[in-house]
Amino acid sequence: MNEALVGTVPLPAATQTEGFAELYERTFPRVYGYVASLLRDRSAAEDVTAQAFERAYRKRRSYRPARGSMDAWLFGIARNAALDELRKRKRRAVLETDPEDSAAPAPHDQAELALRRETVRAALATLDGQERDLIALKFAGGLSNVEIARVLRMSESNVGTRLHRTITKLREACHD
Amino acid sequence: MTDVLTAIDDALDTGVVADDDPMTRELQELALALRADAPEPTQMYSEWLGQQVEAGFRKPRGSKPAWWQRLLQPAAAVGMVAAAVLVIAVAAGGLSRSSNDDASGGSGGGAAESASAGAQGATDAGGGGGAAAVPRAADGKSAPAGAGGAERALSSSRSTLPIVPPAGRGFAPGRSDRRIERSVALELETPVDRMARVAEDVTAVTNRHGGFVLSSSVSTGDEDSAGGDFDLRIPATRLRPALRDLSALADVRTQSQSGRDVTREHVTAKDRLRAARAERRSLLRRLEVATTDEEAEAIRRRLDLVAGEINGLRAQLRDLRLRTDYAVVTVSLLAKDHNEGGGVGGGSFDDALGDAGDLLVTVAGLIVRALAVALPLGLLALAGWLAGRVLQRRRRESALV
Repeated sequence: MNEALVGTVPLPAATQTEGFAELYERTFPRVYGYVASLLRDRSAAEDVTAQAFERAYRKRRSYRPARGSMDAWLFGIARNAALDELRKRKRRAVLETDPEDSAAPAPHDQAELALRRETVRAALATLDGQERDLIALKFAGGLSNVEIARVLRMSESNVGTRLHRTITKLREACHD
Repeated sequence: MTDVLTAIDDALDTGVVADDDPMTRELQELALALRADAPEPTQMYSEWLGQQVEAGFRKPRGSKPAWWQRLLQPAAAVGMVAAAVLVIAVAAGGLSRSSNDDASGGSGGGAAESASAGAQGATDAGGGGGAAAVPRAADGKSAPAGAGGAERALSSSRSTLPIVPPAGRGFAPGRSDRRIERSVALELETPVDRMARVAEDVTAVTNRHGGFVLSSSVSTGDEDSAGGDFDLRIPATRLRPALRDLSALADVRTQSQSGRDVTREHVTAKDRLRAARAERRSLLRRLEVATTDEEAEAIRRRLDLVAGEINGLRAQLRDLRLRTDYAVVTVSLLAKDHNEGGGVGGGSFDDALGDAGDLLVTVAGLIVRALAVALPLGLLALAGWLAGRVLQRRRRESALV
């Protein structure tokens, strides 16, 4: 099936599963990346990602193309699931920790790259939750500004402004 | 700002940092670093979730939500609320209608209700409803509480008639010798081919109840000229069953009745008669002891006057007694139009249209009532739902703060 069609045309019931499978293939790493960035916990991110795809699968007939792309719809569901998980964790007063990075550079990797990653992570830690959410949607989720606007229910120009402000703040934090 | 964002998007698309501005280039590098640093799923997890998607996220048997959990789904809950509102509205509408019916029946049906409607009510009640009004006043006893239809018919009849003295002690408490003139007019409707038979039955019913036919005229020709009029006298004590039997002979189109209390006239005449008799007795005693012819003559002349007065009063009392002992009942026989309804399946096209209109009006009334209840509740539910959504959204967003 044409990938573009999956995102814009409501699928007949018989092909819903196939369409959903393509959507999954296309978005799974990005959804996981976004959720894991937001939660900073790989185990929880796996649960929440699975939960988000299951919710999306069960609600797939409620998707309306007029209300945005399928990616934005899916990320909206994933965001809600992640925020619910964050709230639960707040109630449980669990100490949040950064995920163990399995993709961390090996000792033989370039020291400069490792240092840069550490710097970026430290800078990310200085952002507040909403800023981290925005950065995660943009860079881990790979969404366009229009799609982010749909997910966050704000205007595209507002998304652009906030994104510019946040990434500038991040750059400054990297220099500090 | 737009240029910077575009440059960042370009870098993300191409993976190349190529802007002239050092600061923008730095931001492009940062964007690429952020993307490169995005967490990636493990192979094992990716395979597991892929299988889940392929299987359509099947849940093990028995994990289906309980019925009450399904009821809590928004669509089911809204449907249930809507159904409950509709049921309540329909029930309220039905109660309202029945109470209106009762009210109109109990209050005499209002000025707009016609005598024919009341007569029809009497027919519906087995012909006894309309007749029941008479004995209540005539007997001076309270009639037993009848069926609703009979009560309505009674009230409807009252609405179109002169005031009939109510039953028992209501009108002149303590007077058991009340004298009331009663007159009843009935219009019976019967097919032309049954006209003669009904006419005979009217006479038979009158005789059976101890009354008599003062005059009658019956025509059994074609539909236009067929008809009949009866002037009946029926003992007041038998008026109720007689009217019931007469009403059962044919359809009652209209019924009217009137009553006039003549007790005062009766009492006055009796008192005057008693006084006249006493005077006559006195005159006779004086006549016995009269000593002169002139005196005797004067007494005789006075006796003649008193005798005339006594005769006149006697006649007046006899007339009053006749008028109150016997009720005047006039029965008019009318030919029934063939087109008029006769049974459930009968009725003209106009009647059917009228019935359909009435039905539509009733249904529309019910819908309006239902909407009157459902709309405010629906708006409240909508406002609550929207408030809940906003609250839920705020609570979720609070996780980021």
